[in-house]
Amino acid sequence: MYLPSAVTKQSEIEVAIQEVVRTVGPDVVRIRYEIGEDWSGQWAIFFRVVLSDDAAKRRLREVAGKVVWGLARRLDFPAMGVFPYHNFRSVSEQAALQEPAWA
Amino acid sequence: MLADDLREDARHLAVKGDAEKRQSCLRRAISTAYYAVFHLLVEDFVEHWEFEDQRARLARMFNHQKMRDALFKPKEKSNPTSAETALMDVIRAFGQLQEDRHRADYDLGWKIVGTDVTDAITLAEETFVKWRSIRRADIARHHLHSMFGARVEKVP
Repeated sequence: MYLPSAVTKQSEIEVAIQEVVRTVGPDVVRIRYEIGEDWSGQWAIFFRVVLSDDAAKRRLREVAGKVVWGLARRLDFPAMGVFPYHNFRSVSEQAALQEPAWA
Repeated sequence: MLADDLREDARHLAVKGDAEKRQSCLRRAISTAYYAVFHLLVEDFVEHWEFEDQRARLARMFNHQKMRDALFKPKEKSNPTSAETALMDVIRAFGQLQEDRHRADYDLGWKIVGTDVTDAITLAEETFVKWRSIRRADIARHHLHSMFGARVEKVP
């Protein structure tokens, strides 16, 4: 079974995530990720980004752009064999839903 | 243009979904945001086809997956031009919106929150602006051909 090289680069991914969280600042609370297949069966990396309530409400596009580009600059997704997807939610939304994948 | 109407429809659906707490409207808002961008690109391609009566047929030849998988690499990866950066944003946004659209339409396990909807709509709106700022550039014209399925050629 084919597995993308991203599977073997999880420590590199973690380092990149921590750098992005540190660089963007308090607007980004945490980033979780998962490697899997998307709707078309192509390998992908799904980032789940929890934002501060203020950032999600007032600066979503600005902060989202920083996260997306910050990760893209640090991680070579094509070389890793994955397409990156990013989804965002606020601290309050996650508190209401309590989804373990976002915790 | 249909694309502009769809972009507005996505906003209307989001407002209705939020006001009435209707998941169906929120899902349709996300789905419509994708189709707005899809038609933005397709309409841009077919409007240059000389034979007006054939444009609808031509538009139907676009394949969602092929459009997403179209390759683009900036000349200097570490130092892309502003047009290349905008095109990479459009490509990434198209892929993101397509995946979200699929989940919105089929994944009933997806617990959609307000930020998901706002993200999809504002990403689509931003993509309109970026695409229209580069649509006449060579790299954008070539990429549209790649999305249509044409083999990648070197940009002159």
